[in-house]
Amino acid sequence: MSDNNKLKIGIYELTGCAGDALLILDCEMELLDIFNAVDIQSFLMAKSDNIDGDLDVALVEGSVSTEREIEELKDIRKRSSIVVAFGLCATVGGIQARFSEEEWTQNLKEVYGDTEMTHTKAVHSKPIDAYINVDFYLPGCPVGKDQFLNFFTRVVQGAPPESYPVPVCVTCKYNENDCLLNKGIPCLGPLTADGCGSVCPNHDVPCYGCWGPAEGANLTSEYHLLQEKGFDIEAIKKRMSNYSGSKFQEFFEQFKNKESK
Amino acid sequence: MKIVKMKRENLSSFLEAISREAELWAPVKKGVDTHAFQVVKDFSEIDLNYTRTILPPRKILVPSRFNMFQATKTEYTPDFSHVSNKIIFGIHPCDISGLLTMDKFYSYAIEDPYYLESRKKAMILGHSCWPDEHCLCKSTNTHIVEEGYDLFFTDLKDFYLVWIGSTQGDDLIRLVPDLFEGEIADQDIQRFMQWREDRDKAYSSEINFVAMADLMELRYNDPVWAKLGEACLACGSCTNVCPTCNCYNVEDRPVLGAEHSNISRCWDACTLENYSGVAGGENFREKRADRLKLWYTHKLQAYISKYGKPACVGCGRCIATCPVDINIKTVSDSLDGANPDAFWNRLSQEVTK
Repeated sequence: MSDNNKLKIGIYELTGCAGDALLILDCEMELLDIFNAVDIQSFLMAKSDNIDGDLDVALVEGSVSTEREIEELKDIRKRSSIVVAFGLCATVGGIQARFSEEEWTQNLKEVYGDTEMTHTKAVHSKPIDAYINVDFYLPGCPVGKDQFLNFFTRVVQGAPPESYPVPVCVTCKYNENDCLLNKGIPCLGPLTADGCGSVCPNHDVPCYGCWGPAEGANLTSEYHLLQEKGFDIEAIKKRMSNYSGSKFQEFFEQFKNKESK
Repeated sequence: MKIVKMKRENLSSFLEAISREAELWAPVKKGVDTHAFQVVKDFSEIDLNYTRTILPPRKILVPSRFNMFQATKTEYTPDFSHVSNKIIFGIHPCDISGLLTMDKFYSYAIEDPYYLESRKKAMILGHSCWPDEHCLCKSTNTHIVEEGYDLFFTDLKDFYLVWIGSTQGDDLIRLVPDLFEGEIADQDIQRFMQWREDRDKAYSSEINFVAMADLMELRYNDPVWAKLGEACLACGSCTNVCPTCNCYNVEDRPVLGAEHSNISRCWDACTLENYSGVAGGENFREKRADRLKLWYTHKLQAYISKYGKPACVGCGRCIATCPVDINIKTVSDSLDGANPDAFWNRLSQEVTK
């Protein structure tokens, strides 16, 4: 707590597009309330007088993709009572974490060749819980405004945030959309965490999974379903693993095992 | 009960007159071939040539999320802002039966004011329908209704026969009595009888509900449930579209920059993993198979034991919705001895190339 009895908050960005930090600033109507409710100690996108001291809550955006970020993240954990994985990249690693170690090494070589890294070394991108304990997860690409404000307001009042354990299909049905899977369109609604308001299916565009895996998603059934609709294994793998970061890798390892047999 | 006749061309004048009395809800086209109940201002949007809306009309009475009350540290203020005078026009018999089922759920043991207040202020203007391949209402005996409506319109092409089911319904007729005729000719009655006969023949799907509650009990540990669990996408869609599902969750929504919280009520679905989660992180039904079993026990056994009929009104929404064919028809058929692989032959496959 600060001297003025407000929670000390820090907002940090690792490797990502910074869309989640931007989302906070995009809460224009609520911005004064947000800054009044807490003491924002560090928020690189919003202010310049940042202090890296002890915090009540740290929101960490982005995946861990360099050695320097590993150190930075560990330092944030040490200084913070609560650490929140803020957005898809922090939660599951994001698009950059969808590759196996082997594929990643190959990609790095392809892109950078033999260029020597001087200030830090790249590492295989991972979600932040690969290195530290995480108290709460807030998925989304980027996190939704309502979701963030709900979370933020509850944390300010000392209540644990609501989790988002339901798939996109729930809101999609509330919005009375015709099921795209039933029309033979490869929608990832059943596999994907809700919170976006089913924005893509609302416009007849299939869910691409950008909020990351929903808890309890049935990968096998969705896989068979897409196969039945005529999609080939590579297309399904690509689609399903695009935004799932490191979380669906184990499932797709099964294919590799089959292939190598 | 009284029956009057109305010429087809009088319908929009009638709707015009009643829409001044309350908010008018009716089926409108939503997608290419889907429909939804919506508030209607322009009557040309109403599409009565629909089979089923994606969500049942219970959404009009208890929305998917609304505030129950506002709470501060010391007091609370009830919030009934979701309640208003409504006229729901174009409801089919299955959905009227769905509302009658909701009435029982929400008043049997503890009265739920948030539903009942909303229900009291809603007038039900039913409309006849024609079955498609998913309609099972003849099996559930909900293809005709004898209660639960204020008015009911049977569409006989150039005219309607209009059943008056309540004094409130009669009051609507009396707003514009010139639009209706009290005399119904013998040939009109013949037309109605013929329509009824033709429609009864139009059903192509049925469920054998005889001894279904017993089968549900006897097959409680049947391997069919594990098979269904393997296929289930756990998306909750069957539950969200069901006219007789009524479970909800209550969440505290503190308001930023204010002293109060909104206590918000939202639909919940027992087919979702989180539903059976309790404090301490335990979950009684982590397995999809167990959750499906719970849902179907409720529909096919518990409700039958209590009220003598299934908690299914045969609307066919779960059939039209589920991408992996887990629905009231396939599950009932499986319990009745059909081979579950017949509808889900992918189940036996492993994850292969």
